[in-house]
Amino acid sequence: MMDVINYLFETFSSNMMDIPLIAPIVDFLLKIPVINFIVALILWKPFFAVIIMPGLVVLTLYLLYVVWYERKLTARIQWRVGPLEVARPIRGAIQALADGIRYFFQEAIVHREAHRPYFVQLPILAFIPILLPIMFIPAGSAVGIYTPYSIQLTVTFIALIPITIVAMGWASNSRFAYIGSVREAFMYFAYEVPFIIAVISMIFLYGSGDAYVAVEKQSAIPGALLNPIAFIVYIIAMLMATSRLPFEIPEADQEIAFGPFVEYSGILFGLAMVLAYEKLYIMTLLFTILFLGGWSGPYCPLLGDLNGPLWMFIKTIVVISILVIVRSIYARYRLDQALRIGWTSMLALSIAALVVGGALGVWLS
Amino acid sequence: MDEYVLDIPVEPPKELRSLFIPIPPEYVEDTYKSDDFLILVGPQHPGSGHMRLIVRVKGDIIQEVIPDPGYVHRSMEKLAENRLYIQNIPLVERPAIMDAPNFNLGYVRAIEEALDIEVPERAKYIRTMLAELGRVGTHLYDAAILAVFIGHTTGFMYPFALRELICEALVRLTGARFTSSFIIPGGVRRDADESTLKWIYDMTLAMERRLKSFERIFINNPTVIARLQDVGVLSKEEAIKYGVVGPFLRASGVEYDVRKVEPYEVYDELVWDMPVSDAGDSYARFLVRVNEIGQSLSIIRQCIKEMPEGRVISEQIAENGNDIRGSFYDSLSNIVLPSGEYTTLTEGARGTIVFSIVSDGESNVPYRLRIVSPGWLYLKGFMESMKGERLADLQAIYGSFGYFPPEADR
Repeated sequence: MMDVINYLFETFSSNMMDIPLIAPIVDFLLKIPVINFIVALILWKPFFAVIIMPGLVVLTLYLLYVVWYERKLTARIQWRVGPLEVARPIRGAIQALADGIRYFFQEAIVHREAHRPYFVQLPILAFIPILLPIMFIPAGSAVGIYTPYSIQLTVTFIALIPITIVAMGWASNSRFAYIGSVREAFMYFAYEVPFIIAVISMIFLYGSGDAYVAVEKQSAIPGALLNPIAFIVYIIAMLMATSRLPFEIPEADQEIAFGPFVEYSGILFGLAMVLAYEKLYIMTLLFTILFLGGWSGPYCPLLGDLNGPLWMFIKTIVVISILVIVRSIYARYRLDQALRIGWTSMLALSIAALVVGGALGVWLS
Repeated sequence: MDEYVLDIPVEPPKELRSLFIPIPPEYVEDTYKSDDFLILVGPQHPGSGHMRLIVRVKGDIIQEVIPDPGYVHRSMEKLAENRLYIQNIPLVERPAIMDAPNFNLGYVRAIEEALDIEVPERAKYIRTMLAELGRVGTHLYDAAILAVFIGHTTGFMYPFALRELICEALVRLTGARFTSSFIIPGGVRRDADESTLKWIYDMTLAMERRLKSFERIFINNPTVIARLQDVGVLSKEEAIKYGVVGPFLRASGVEYDVRKVEPYEVYDELVWDMPVSDAGDSYARFLVRVNEIGQSLSIIRQCIKEMPEGRVISEQIAENGNDIRGSFYDSLSNIVLPSGEYTTLTEGARGTIVFSIVSDGESNVPYRLRIVSPGWLYLKGFMESMKGERLADLQAIYGSFGYFPPEADR
């Protein structure tokens, strides 16, 4: 027994995050039995990447932040105040937490027509394609599982998310949910093809699907400037994929009352509602790696290994904070208009991006 | 591709039989046999008001829309037969809350026409100003509803914030936010003082400035134009044939405005244009009303500038002094209209309002009061314009008409 624990401790402590800022505390804690095991586990690089940063803990913090920030920004644009009642001194910053608690204690109604097992488990199952890519997205030296195909793997898992949403609408067995699912499926095909072609163009450009290679090649010029067409296609595809407003067609609340999620209530609705935000987070992580130089940034010696994850997180948050503004400035396109945009101009742009990416890739190598 | 006819027995859903729907069962069967589909929009739906629309769709294309109005019918015409003439004033302005001054004005003018009451000049100017404030408020309200129908939340918040200025002006002028019952036979209830008029004048300028930011974010927004342009087109001939009224008729290229054709109050003494568009689509209907807001604000400013001094209530009504206050009920409760029928046309915000009072000449309540509100008049054109559009366009066309079920149902 002790041998196993010692072996695990050796494994963890041999591959720990080296952060000079908290090094004295870590050294002190490592001398205490039991505590040293927990500290070593938390600072073990794969664990740190998947659970702490840019993984689960930071994802939760990001959800709390972005829901509040989006509401506050929209309110600011619309001559309103926005959430304020919960925690007035910090301008209602824990509003999302309060909403989450309310969802948690609310009754989750499962209506008679629903396909009960799928209806209940699908919002939870939907987390699998959301959380799996985090294993493969590296942030500096912190990486869950290292693979030279990390970009392709992330794209694959992102492509799985709409299937769970369509399944949710099907399991709801309601008229509006059904229309919402069909719309989601239509939108899925409209953005997925240009999105994948844009990512392939960047893989051509860097010559590899390895995130480390991609970031290394961007040391001089970020990918956004190397291939601006792919950059634009990726942003529009990201808006379509996460049902942001000009393309908020599957969830159009005035037309089909939140589409696939119309029958959900309580914590199940809470889980289904944050799906789009989590998808936005994953896609922005990939966006940061492909176009904004990933985790590279000014090196602070005090932070040591934390530099990479921190810079990546900051870039992600900044990109998302800029993206959420579209909610308050655009109206919703009609489904046929969005499909036309996806299948004509975006497809054409993505093929142009492929040509640019291929040519630049040959020239760079 | 050839179309193959398959003879498959199709059963209409049971709920279409159990619900009360004002269409014959043969129609339902015929719809399902011809591979169409019936969708019931409303009466509780995030996109429609208190009205049911029975939409027959083929795929995503609307074939026919049958309205089922009457969910907020309050039998105003019958109620009016049991009340004194002045007690009807608060009643008749209830159909359209924001457009109350225009409804009020139409009813009061019918009484004045019957009794040959000469309204003082200053009262006419105040009435015109009130009517235009109501018009601006209604247009802003409708613009906000249109914006939220096509998913633009900022376009929803801006007009509602601007409408607060109108409400504030009405509060300062009359004491109530919208249904003020301020216009009475012979004039208005009380005079407007100098500081209130100054405030309203400044308000119109402030509103024009703020409308510019609304124009930037909503009116010129490419997504809004994509949603509204070439959607729900009513040609000039169709608009005339289906009896569309008001700004929606002018959006189809017909130059008809009661304020120009049969001027009442002081509209013939003021300088203003009639916004007209030839396109006849949803965007034109919206733009005509936006331009009307500008014209109305200009009319309000002219009213304030040119307002003469003098009485605000006719001498025939208030004999002692310039004020109706204190003697309101004594002066007006027992008015009896000479026998006959008196009809007025008023240009409300959403179109022509017809008030027709029939009096038997001896009782102090109307024998019959006929109200035809603009919503009822353009309902047919509204339904016709949706034919051949997509189902998602239903919301956009609905918003572009600013259809207000309480106003149409009365």
